[in-house]
Amino acid sequence: MTMIEIDKEPIDVDFLIVGGGIAGLMAAIQSAQQSIRVIVAEKANTKRSGSGATGNDHFCCYIPEVHGEDIEPILWEDLHSLHGDFQDETLARLFLEESFDRVKDWDRWGISMKPKGHWDFSGHAYPGRPRIFLKYAGHNQKEVLTREAKKHGAELMNHTIITEVITQDGAVVGAVGMSVKEDRPLVRIFRAKCILLATGSATRLYPTSTPGWMFNIPFCPSCNGSGRAMAYRAGAKLVNMEMPNRHAGPKYLARCGKATWIGVYRDPHGEAIGPFVKRPTKELGDITADVWNTVFTDKFKSGEGPIYIDCTQVAQEDIDYMLWGLVEEGNTAMLDYMAAEGIDVRKHRVEFRQYEPFLIGSRGIEINTRAETNVSGLYAAGDEVGNFRADLSGAAIYGWISGKSAADRAKEIAGFTPVEKMGFVEERIRFYSSILERDSGPTWKEANLALQQIMGDYAGMDVRSETLLNAGLTYLRLLKNKAHDTLTADNAHNLMRCLETLDLMDCGEVIFHAALERKETRAMHKRSDYPFTNPLLSDMFLTICLDDGKPHLEWREKR
Amino acid sequence: MPPIIDEETCTHCGTCVDMCTEDVFFGSEKEQLPQVTYPNECVYCNACVEECPAEGAIYLRLPLPMMLMYKPAR
Repeated sequence: MTMIEIDKEPIDVDFLIVGGGIAGLMAAIQSAQQSIRVIVAEKANTKRSGSGATGNDHFCCYIPEVHGEDIEPILWEDLHSLHGDFQDETLARLFLEESFDRVKDWDRWGISMKPKGHWDFSGHAYPGRPRIFLKYAGHNQKEVLTREAKKHGAELMNHTIITEVITQDGAVVGAVGMSVKEDRPLVRIFRAKCILLATGSATRLYPTSTPGWMFNIPFCPSCNGSGRAMAYRAGAKLVNMEMPNRHAGPKYLARCGKATWIGVYRDPHGEAIGPFVKRPTKELGDITADVWNTVFTDKFKSGEGPIYIDCTQVAQEDIDYMLWGLVEEGNTAMLDYMAAEGIDVRKHRVEFRQYEPFLIGSRGIEINTRAETNVSGLYAAGDEVGNFRADLSGAAIYGWISGKSAADRAKEIAGFTPVEKMGFVEERIRFYSSILERDSGPTWKEANLALQQIMGDYAGMDVRSETLLNAGLTYLRLLKNKAHDTLTADNAHNLMRCLETLDLMDCGEVIFHAALERKETRAMHKRSDYPFTNPLLSDMFLTICLDDGKPHLEWREKR
Repeated sequence: MPPIIDEETCTHCGTCVDMCTEDVFFGSEKEQLPQVTYPNECVYCNACVEECPAEGAIYLRLPLPMMLMYKPAR
């Protein structure tokens, strides 16, 4: 039996960053320059972790010398863009205002933001509208950001997970973590003045498009909503959690990068399915799937599918540009596969499909313009923020902002709280140990698949209703209790996966509560018992937090 | 089953073990041939292939359920 090991010496840290993705590393680079101790706890290795692990090629930003001095048209475009739904305008405005400075930082550090020699805003755009996505060469982004964080003195603790945020009187005082590098997990206790949650999206909530292959997903499967779950348990507000988001791309290999493909979506007869482009170019591709998010599913279900991307009308120069973009955003596994199989975009049409729902930005932790949550000393940035979204560039800008805010706060706090003596910490360690000590019981995979089938059936995409949601919530609670009492793991890795799955269950429970409260149909939240969109809710956000251990739901106006 | 390691070419440097985002190589011994402990947790990101200093030592074989669906354009 593998036993848990405990490092009895707590670690004193001014600013603990949970997750070394784009947001976490940007926060580390900023804050480490301010004479405070900064630690990044990263589940994998910061050089290759998170949704930006293998690169990216588009960075939403406002560059005055390209867009003009008036930010308003760009802000409008951002709020109505592919990621524009469910944002507080105040956060989006600040994001755009600071975005060019971060672009210049990245370029100076060695991530090529001007690979074609000029500020190249191509793709991800509507005909006749401003283009707000800067095309860049981000293949080396994690390596560069890791180097910069180290250079400024941030300590990178790779293969270390954070499992709980510890609070006292409504403020952060520390965290429980665990090194998962060796067979035997090593528990570490952090006494922290400030904590940033930057753990990314929440994938693995719903069944994938390839049954039995839980990790065939377009984003990072190790991004499992831990930040959202820890924030919720610590009393922070979550927002927009009931709003599903789905990505689309090649069938069956689930990949990001839909908009990097330059082509026209066509039905089996070769007819274009959208009105936007006849002859796509690198500046303007086919945006039909962004306007009509469910197009691939709808056409398939109606029998008019499947729908293919057709790149054969694209100029060779733009095909080269597209293939370059796919490499820069880290799609080399797919390109290697296509080359080996003789799949050539100039000769073949590739079928596209919609993937399973997951939580990305605009579905998660509520923050203000300082990246603070409602819990003092607790910050959030990146894909787990609930009232703002700009994907990678949003992570870069708000990661940086959180670094400034946390450093300012940390300098005002004199000492550390002896969290290692708290009963809560002891109880958590006993629980982690019990999972390793059980002789028999379900593995994390059983629990994760059971969660996925409940989410897919009772909080799914085809239909939601009060009766289905109530039933699903009851079943999920049963599953969660069962998992809590019976899960087993034989090493640090599987213990980590068990705790990830329990965090996903917390996220799932919040989704059920919020989906029950939103008594209308909006975007992909489809209530059969409320089949209309309620205009009175158009400018409102739904928040949820724990109040005396119970979920407390509240509507508020957008800010 | 991804990834596949060429025993002849691998230098046992452990880079893939350290870099894998999903800990597919969990439990591998230092300076030994990496073991693919959790192949079903591979996300086919290619990070191990790209980070490997010995070209050709790791090959990513996509499982059949991840086949791309395609047809000739004409």
